[in-house]
Amino acid sequence: MTTATTAPPPYRSTVPESRRAGFGGLLRAEWTKLWSVRRWTLALPTAILLTIVVALLSAAGGSAVKAGGGGGGGGGGGGKRPPGTVHPFNDGGGFVHQPLAGDGTVTARVTAQRASHPEAKAGLMIRRDGRRGAPYAVIAVTPGRGVRLRSGVGTDLGGGSGPVPRWLRLTRSGTSVTGYASSDGAAWRRVGTVEVAGLSGAAQAGPYVGSPSAIKVERRFGGESTSEVPTEGSATFDRVDVAPAGGARPAPWVRRDRETGADAPLDPADSPRAGAPFTLAGSGDVGPDEFARDITETALAGVLIGLMAVVALAVLSVTSEYRRGMIRTTFAATPARGRVLAAKALVLGAAAFAAGLAAAAGALLISFPVMRGKGLAPPPVTEWPVLRAVLGTALLLALIAVLSVGVAVILRHAAASITVLLLVLLVPQIVATGLPLSAATWLERLSPAAGFAMQQTVPRYDTALGPWAGLGVLAAYTAAVLAAALWLLRRRDA
Amino acid sequence: MKATIEVSGLRKRYGPTVAVDDLSFTVAPGRVTGFVGPNGAGKSTTMRMILGLDRPDAGTALIGGRPYRRLRSPLREVGAMLDAGAVHPGRRARAHLRWMAHSNALPVRRVDEVLDIVGLSGAVAGRPAGGYSLGMRQRLGIAAALLGDPPVLMFDEPVNGLDPEGITWIRGLLRSLAAEGRAVLVSSHLMSELEGSADHLVVVGRGRVIADRGVRELLSAASGDRVLVRTGHRQEAMTVLARAGAVVATTGCDALTVSGVPAERIVALLTGDGVPFSGITEHRATLEEAFMELTRDAVDYRSSRTEAGEGA
Amino acid sequence: MRHVLHGEWTKLRTLPSTGWLLLALAVSTVLVGAATTGAVDTSHCPAPAGCLEDTTRLSLTGVRLGQAAAVVFAVLAIGGEYGTGMIQITLAAVPHRPRVLLAKAAVVAAGVLAAGTLGVLGSLAAGRALLPGNGFTAANGYPPPSLADGPTLRAAAGTVLYLVLVALLALGVGAVLRDTAASVTVVLTLLYVFPVITRFVTDPDWHERLDRIAPMTAGLAIQTTIRGAGPPIGPWTGLGVLAAYAAAALLAGGCVLAARDAN
Repeated sequence: MTTATTAPPPYRSTVPESRRAGFGGLLRAEWTKLWSVRRWTLALPTAILLTIVVALLSAAGGSAVKAGGGGGGGGGGGGKRPPGTVHPFNDGGGFVHQPLAGDGTVTARVTAQRASHPEAKAGLMIRRDGRRGAPYAVIAVTPGRGVRLRSGVGTDLGGGSGPVPRWLRLTRSGTSVTGYASSDGAAWRRVGTVEVAGLSGAAQAGPYVGSPSAIKVERRFGGESTSEVPTEGSATFDRVDVAPAGGARPAPWVRRDRETGADAPLDPADSPRAGAPFTLAGSGDVGPDEFARDITETALAGVLIGLMAVVALAVLSVTSEYRRGMIRTTFAATPARGRVLAAKALVLGAAAFAAGLAAAAGALLISFPVMRGKGLAPPPVTEWPVLRAVLGTALLLALIAVLSVGVAVILRHAAASITVLLLVLLVPQIVATGLPLSAATWLERLSPAAGFAMQQTVPRYDTALGPWAGLGVLAAYTAAVLAAALWLLRRRDA
Repeated sequence: MKATIEVSGLRKRYGPTVAVDDLSFTVAPGRVTGFVGPNGAGKSTTMRMILGLDRPDAGTALIGGRPYRRLRSPLREVGAMLDAGAVHPGRRARAHLRWMAHSNALPVRRVDEVLDIVGLSGAVAGRPAGGYSLGMRQRLGIAAALLGDPPVLMFDEPVNGLDPEGITWIRGLLRSLAAEGRAVLVSSHLMSELEGSADHLVVVGRGRVIADRGVRELLSAASGDRVLVRTGHRQEAMTVLARAGAVVATTGCDALTVSGVPAERIVALLTGDGVPFSGITEHRATLEEAFMELTRDAVDYRSSRTEAGEGA
Repeated sequence: MRHVLHGEWTKLRTLPSTGWLLLALAVSTVLVGAATTGAVDTSHCPAPAGCLEDTTRLSLTGVRLGQAAAVVFAVLAIGGEYGTGMIQITLAAVPHRPRVLLAKAAVVAAGVLAAGTLGVLGSLAAGRALLPGNGFTAANGYPPPSLADGPTLRAAAGTVLYLVLVALLALGVGAVLRDTAASVTVVLTLLYVFPVITRFVTDPDWHERLDRIAPMTAGLAIQTTIRGAGPPIGPWTGLGVLAAYAAAALLAGGCVLAARDAN
């Protein structure tokens, strides 16, 4: 081996070694790659725009009169919600009451109930006033589910089963209401205590009878239709007693009109009297309307179009490097491949998150006023479930972007990756609508499409799993795919 | 860090094909080392293994004593141009270099410096790389290699697609980079491309090192001290020279190839015996000839007609 | 034209992805069809006869997934040539460009026709095997799907046609966009996003309108064998909607191919 005759001194790079080539530099590198291809920079704004346009179209295509759903609210209440809340709410049924000035107790015995519906209710209610959606607590016997203690939209406690006749009691202490049940009026069993927010000052207490509508849901590929038939419940009470703590004089009984919420005096002859049987009929239910459409989720449906752009962008950001051999430049510049993958996933995830946030917020802010103009009642955007859906859409797109990066690293082929991703994200949703509910629920729980649960704001009869659980399923898939991608990336030659 | 590439016992197979078979060589600083072999000889595979892109089945490739994957800021230590086409067609040259700079935390001003060096500065650097000619892409690839001003440089077929002016430019660039004390490894499948730029050659064929020596040695070995004599009196010249112990062969109707006797002695012999001649040239083998000689057995893809011709 | 066809056929046949994609088309159609059929039984209905389940349509559910393979197959037939630059060789060999697209359409259609027939027949066979076990017996008013039955034959043949039309639509889009990834995204979006978004449209009129113009929903109306069970469009009209999409895409593709430089 010959050495050069005049060996020059060893060369040293004149470029200063700055800080340390840290992860931040990698993030900047991946970010630069992303914004420096013009076609890619257009992808996300287009996605945002399309999402908003679809939301607007679907808002314009919806109408209050024909809106499907409608629930056990019977007549008045389908899909409407009390002001200030998100949940579609039923507030029907028959209610006769006396004022309850402060703390107190209402007691009654249900001697008979018509089994008009498995969830028909015969029992007692305490509510603040007659207005729709006023804070309330109900204890009731049901033909199908035993004694229930209900409050708000989410609280539904079981109090054991047993035949009528049955004694029921509600005791109010401030804003907390405790329900009791008994078979003989002597040995009382505590069902539970519920906090009824907003139950301050004067309230109303008395017997309550409700019966949800019979709902028929038809599901077929591409949609569902619900139809409802109101049912009327009826029950007989005796020993009705409202006992105001402090012993105020007995007030006349009043009946609440479920359409208007206004009160109408009750003929003393038809009123509950100590010892005498009293029959009350009522149609409709109180509590969440599980068949109403989730307006927020509907308004966010356009994200599916935006999703395409996110998937395509994330896949191409990987496969274009493989296709051109640029991946070698990348790995020569940064031999730690796991860090490159992390940086790429993080940058695309963040970009998709930002786009998702803008798209979801834009879709709601633009389509909700349109809906209001058409007589629909979208929930206020400041409510947590709505905010959660907006945030969730952003998280959903971020996770899908990361998942796409992982799939693209594994497959290294754009068309194949995009096809696989769109299939696992969309086909479960299409096939699910054609399956019976039980099978559909499992499909929606187990496929990556579970992540779309994050866009729900209210629980529905067909809700397969909660928002965060759904996102968790998608996150688990993403983590698994990313781990596989990392393993392959380290093992394979670039 | 010493600016060297040390490859020892490198081996790589793809399925049944052995791409690199027990390859060892060293690229020393201060000179241009040519890495030559026919297509499919394993040059690119070796370069990828040096860069930690492909995992060797056996052996090591060290940069300044360390494996590539252990380098803290690789672009400051090794610059490489593997494939000039490895740029996204929608990305501008400046942005392409910029992401590379970010990834190694190099100052962004280097981007314009290297664009200047390769002559891509100005409006050209702001155009998407998809519209570049092959020569412009080649220059962009070289700019990328120079980005970290590294002491070790590797170029895979840098002359491909360059016009004559570009070839002259790149030869000068390679020489000046080596003169600064850098180790420069340049691969080519054409020996002639390296003529005038390489100081040292590593010749590979079928994944093995065939020769690892200086260019000058290689040439003189291939030339075999032959002298070309032009004369109208072939017969007389042959008799005279054969008597003196030279090996003589006729090369044309008025030319002889003489070996075993130095040129001055041939002049003395012919003049002494009064044989007229019109010229005497010392035969210099071209690198191409030396290469053909060395790789005769190592060529993978040879057209069958050539093979038959050689057999005859 | 015969030579052009032969050339295109050879090109497609020698593409390694062709066999795999056509296999995937047939296999995924059968498997998804069988899985869906296996998941549906009469237990969720008040009475088995009251399910009103369209058993033929149920058995053929798999094409909803299988069509994706047809899309990729068709897009690769043209996008792959642009990706590798081979289109220049193709167009140099056959300067009459619409003829190239027609030839491609013919060989793509032939491939999908073969694989689709296999997939559809396999799905129906799986349906016959699985349906009685889930309560869909002849006694309950669900005769096993049979090609001797007019509507079932129409559904089966129509489903194969549906797959061919989807492939032609994809080929047309591929010729327009000349990029594999973009074409696949666009076609799959067109097919899949429509039905998912339609779910969220509350107005029944709009819902029906969208169902009538969505290529997948309208096209698959051909599978309806029970009155009132399918989308709000007639079987052949529905397939006609998809055919219109495919024709428009091919026409646009032909124009783009003829008008633009080949690279």
